[in-house]
Amino acid sequence: MATTTATITLASSDIADNAISISNTATLTKAGSTTGLDQTSGLRRRTFTSMSTVKLIDLDHYQDQTLTENAAAKVYIKNTGTSTAEHVAVGIQNGAGALEEIGWLYGGDWMFFPYSAVWDSAAHANNQDIDVTPSSTDSVTLEWMVIYE
Amino acid sequence: MATTTATITLASTDLLSDSLSLSSTTTLYDAGTTTGLTQYDSGRVEIPGDNNIYILLDSTAAALDKGNRVYVANKNTDEGHYVDMLIDEAVLGRLYAGDWMFIPWSQADAAANLEVRAPNEANTVEYAIFHEGRTFTGA
Repeated sequence: MATTTATITLASSDIADNAISISNTATLTKAGSTTGLDQTSGLRRRTFTSMSTVKLIDLDHYQDQTLTENAAAKVYIKNTGTSTAEHVAVGIQNGAGALEEIGWLYGGDWMFFPYSAVWDSAAHANNQDIDVTPSSTDSVTLEWMVIYE
Repeated sequence: MATTTATITLASTDLLSDSLSLSSTTTLYDAGTTTGLTQYDSGRVEIPGDNNIYILLDSTAAALDKGNRVYVANKNTDEGHYVDMLIDEAVLGRLYAGDWMFIPWSQADAAANLEVRAPNEANTVEYAIFHEGRTFTGA
């Protein structure tokens, strides 16, 4: 089994009267076990130059395999740009087939979250695909990785 | 303005044939600016294990389409325990014991609450939201 850790540090010396420092390390394990996640997309990279909504993580065509749904998959996404004015909206398709916006990644921003990866049909109707929508036509590059079982 | 940073490090020596060591740091700004976020809320709560969806953080008018960032950690230790994390009842994923998440949360509309559901056992969750402001409820 593999051992993969994800560590976060949130720090500020001036957002409040006293400094804030939150640090946490998670060992990424399979659902309900202590066995480490052992599959990954690897770090991937894609550049966008339009404001169209694009499937970043397409469960119908995910590396010709199916993620184990409702397990312990994790997703990392980073906007590698430097613009603090333009963002990329990240959303997830909900069970009704509509896109639910999660949040906006500005240049340099990253996100890391658990992913249920529910695949419902090849028609995409209710799949939990991850979609992204740039806020401008300026070139923007995302990097992302899925770690799963 | 304040300066708040968020750093992630992903590391493994055996997930791939070569070592994985990824690190990224971002500074938390107000949406579309280089002004640092100046407000935060944090807490530690126990989510009942009754399979009901509860609002962990409420989407408020003052925070719609803003640069909010959210950190959530599941502080349980039994590897079988988890909470579902949702936005407006759309499931993101399962946050197992010991796991954490960090996301931008744009609060696209008033219903885009950050929600949590513990299907089986009570789970203790810690959270922090860094934001530009929120709408207060009158007394």
